[in-house]
Amino acid sequence: MDAGHSRTIRVLVAVYGVLVRAYPARLRHRYGEEMVQVFATRVVDAARLRGMPGLMRFWAGALADVLRGAFLEHVRERWRPSVDVSAMESTERNGRAVFMRGLGSDVRHGVRSLMRAPAFTLAAVLTIGLGIGANVAIFSVINAVLLRPLPYADPDRLVILWQEMTQRNVKNFPLSPPDLRDYQEQSTQLEGLAGIFSFPQPLSGDGEPVVVQSAIVTPNFFSVMGVRPVLGRDFVPSDADVAPAAAPGGAAGPQVNAIVMLSNELWRTRFGGDPTVVGRIIDLGGDPGEVVGVLPPGFELLMPEVAGIPSAIDLWSAARIDFETANRNNAFLRVIGRLAPGATLVSAQAEVDRITADLRARFTIRETAGTIGVLVPMHTDLVASVRTVLLTLMGAVGFVLLIACSNVANLMLVRSAERERELAVRSAIGGSRWRLIRQTLAESALLSLAGGVLGVMLAWLGISALRFLRPEQLPRLTSIELDGAALAFTGLAAACSAVLFGLVPALRASRPAITQTLHQAGRSPGLSANRLFRNAVIVGEVALTLVLMIGAGLMIRTFSSLQRVDHGFDASGVLTFQVGIGGRFPTPEERRTYRSALTERLRSLPGVEAAASGLPVPLDGTQFHGRWGLEEALSNPAAFRQANYRVVSAGFFDVLRTRVLDGRVFTPAEMRDSADVVVVDEQLAAIAFPGRSAVGERILVRISTPEPVWVRIVGVVERQRQESLMAPSRETIYFTDRYAGFEGNLPWFVRTSGDPLALAPAVRQQVSQINSSLPVSNVRALEEYINQAMAPTRFALSLISTFATLALILAVIGLYGVLAYSVKQRTAEIGVRIAFGARTSTILGLIVGQGIRLSLLGVSLGLFGAWSLTRLMRSLLLDVSATDPLTYAGITALFLGVAVAASLIPALRAARVQPVSALRE
Amino acid sequence: MRKTQGARRSGEVAGASETEYLPLGSVAFEVMLSLAGGAQHGYAILRDIEERTGGEMSLHAGTLYRAIFRLVEQGLVEELEERPATEWDDARRRYYGMTALGRRIAAAEAKRLADRVATAKARKLLRQAGG
Repeated sequence: MDAGHSRTIRVLVAVYGVLVRAYPARLRHRYGEEMVQVFATRVVDAARLRGMPGLMRFWAGALADVLRGAFLEHVRERWRPSVDVSAMESTERNGRAVFMRGLGSDVRHGVRSLMRAPAFTLAAVLTIGLGIGANVAIFSVINAVLLRPLPYADPDRLVILWQEMTQRNVKNFPLSPPDLRDYQEQSTQLEGLAGIFSFPQPLSGDGEPVVVQSAIVTPNFFSVMGVRPVLGRDFVPSDADVAPAAAPGGAAGPQVNAIVMLSNELWRTRFGGDPTVVGRIIDLGGDPGEVVGVLPPGFELLMPEVAGIPSAIDLWSAARIDFETANRNNAFLRVIGRLAPGATLVSAQAEVDRITADLRARFTIRETAGTIGVLVPMHTDLVASVRTVLLTLMGAVGFVLLIACSNVANLMLVRSAERERELAVRSAIGGSRWRLIRQTLAESALLSLAGGVLGVMLAWLGISALRFLRPEQLPRLTSIELDGAALAFTGLAAACSAVLFGLVPALRASRPAITQTLHQAGRSPGLSANRLFRNAVIVGEVALTLVLMIGAGLMIRTFSSLQRVDHGFDASGVLTFQVGIGGRFPTPEERRTYRSALTERLRSLPGVEAAASGLPVPLDGTQFHGRWGLEEALSNPAAFRQANYRVVSAGFFDVLRTRVLDGRVFTPAEMRDSADVVVVDEQLAAIAFPGRSAVGERILVRISTPEPVWVRIVGVVERQRQESLMAPSRETIYFTDRYAGFEGNLPWFVRTSGDPLALAPAVRQQVSQINSSLPVSNVRALEEYINQAMAPTRFALSLISTFATLALILAVIGLYGVLAYSVKQRTAEIGVRIAFGARTSTILGLIVGQGIRLSLLGVSLGLFGAWSLTRLMRSLLLDVSATDPLTYAGITALFLGVAVAASLIPALRAARVQPVSALRE
Repeated sequence: MRKTQGARRSGEVAGASETEYLPLGSVAFEVMLSLAGGAQHGYAILRDIEERTGGEMSLHAGTLYRAIFRLVEQGLVEELEERPATEWDDARRRYYGMTALGRRIAAAEAKRLADRVATAKARKLLRQAGG
């Protein structure tokens, strides 16, 4: 057994020792110590025989055993004298009928009793409703995103295959066609492996030219996904033939460059839902494509965000890739696989490991990059980025519900203290204790039922609000709904709430001190145990609230850091758009002419300061990677590192106002001949040439050649945030588009002095004047990309703050309620004090002091709770530690301020007590 | 909870009322089976039950002691002063043994179960022993 186990065991035994206290005293005193001893021996056995998993299973079992046993023993202990427990236990006998008859009358009694106290009922239902509503809303999100299976046939068997380059710290890398073919051919555990690559595709004819999201896929793609076209046919292997045979039937049909399928949406909007679209030749930006099928409505491809594949793809074509001759170094295919019958993720992963090891043995570059293949269940992968946010939110709303329940429990205690006489009388005239308990529980159940109904309505509103917030990173947003699972969850939440806020008051109600209460004519002293319980509840509430507020505080700090992040470019006033040139300008010469013409036209627009093009747009979710290295990498390929590759035209850095730190940027002349020069960012310069200027130095890169070649660095620019605002980007190399071979077909950036979006019509006009069939797409302000990158933080922030505010309000109401009740009970005492000359400040101090003491106790527990819990949300934070002292101190001060304010109202009431009337009461 | 509990704790129960104790809970019966072989401490009882049932019944400490608590209350099991020497001995451990009443009740329970088994055999639910 290793050290980790024995530490775990020590902790578990200690925890078990605490848990054993849950048993009633009689049992605990006699056997508690022995139980711990036996547990300790058994837990060691479990660890030795079955390792950590066995240990954890054993622990879970022992935990459940203690909780169940303690509950049952308490039931026996408590109710043995006056409650016929056997009636509860043996419901299969006639006890059941009696029980049900009693239930009806309990419910009727509960309704009447609640109707008599409308203020109490309303307050309780509202509080519970808010708590349940928030929980159901967040649960619906979790259900739709994390729990509900993906909308494909047998979705649990779908996996994504990534490659990782462990030596270059690159994860989630796509596959090259030859690698995919190797996996396809050698795998037995995966019954299908399909590749996909997406890109924007111009579409003309049949109306205005547009750019649609398009993808090339291997012909088996839809069969792997388990999706059938609703019209026409699925792809067949021959659709992907690089040099397709003559058209079927020997007729000399037109030569098509692509076999395509349409999304149902594109089919309906652009082709009017015309069933004869199958077989038609459509114009793919100059290339003819033949439509063979239409996909079912609502089909979306749910790939994780890092794959950079949009969920709504309108045009699918069979990938015509020559797997024999494709370059193994061009990795661009995202790969989805389906586990074969009988295969498990583990067995498939083992097979992938074997195949990848073989690739490493055959190809030096796979070996030096430390390439491994990783299979991830498609669903897990999809939700990986949002899991933490959602679970954090679920924790937050769970807290809100607990707080709501605490408040209602306190309300009920106050109420039962006031009804003590009623209960005592009923108990004295022979009402059995079990009956009293049941009636109080019935009231709780009714309250939580009403709260549940209100909660569902609030949740419905909340979900609409979530849709309105539209966090783009949240996959499957549209499938969020109040379904059966959400309703079942509501029921569960309501039942838990009823137990949480109803049980203690019910047990208290069942033990009225009969003679004592009846003797004290009219004055109810309130049981001191009641007061203790109410105070404990408030302390707990304060603690929970503080945890939530600190969570919200950390998110606020993160959001403000996010707004201050130096992007390495200035997005304000920049418009970006794409022009789908497709095959319009086949020669480099034509493309160059087109580009200079458009640049000139854009620059001539009023208000435009500069125009350039570059790929990809920062923060748009796409990245191109490539290797780079120094002299050493020639002899030792493991010395290659991974960089972001970007392709830009002259003027790109001017338009984006990215500062040039050293050397110069590209000249227009370098755009014309394919000069082997690059610009790098400060990060790469610092890594490659620490302490000296990188300008004039050479590095090895591979972009358009089969093997790495030398290029010369002419300038160093500041680092841009490209993948995410949360973290700096990988080192980056900028190429001229001519050198990269992307010439002409890059997104455009236009800097204007005014509102960038106002420029859009003029831009479209300029493009159409060059060629009226050129579609313009993705017209967006660059700031939108930044906004979008902040969306997940904004989403988490707005929800956590909402919940923290809700919690604060509830906790303050709870604190106020306890103090107000205490003032009411102490009216006589306060009257005496005032009569004997106590000053107003003394009375104020008395009550506010009580509030502060409770708050301080809660705050210290809350600080500890926050300290241990907020680390779970660490991945959501930027530039602020999960235990940031400033946030903790600020939130604590804020809370105490609010607590003092809440205490002042009852304190002022106490100070205004008239001694005479107080004593007369 | 049975109402005759107070009387039962004394152990002075007439033979006719044996049936009041029956059926013993399955956990209680297993504990009695273990103690039928002689007094044992808690951990040994657990191990014995586990071994006899081939791991089918693996009790947690809480369940075991709740059963012992109840059996002691009912006067079927008692805590022993003297300690039998076993390989598991440990000064901190308490040993439990059957009372005379406990032995009678356990035997009655065993007979009750045996009758059921006999019926099951007679009605061909179970093949004859050894089959």
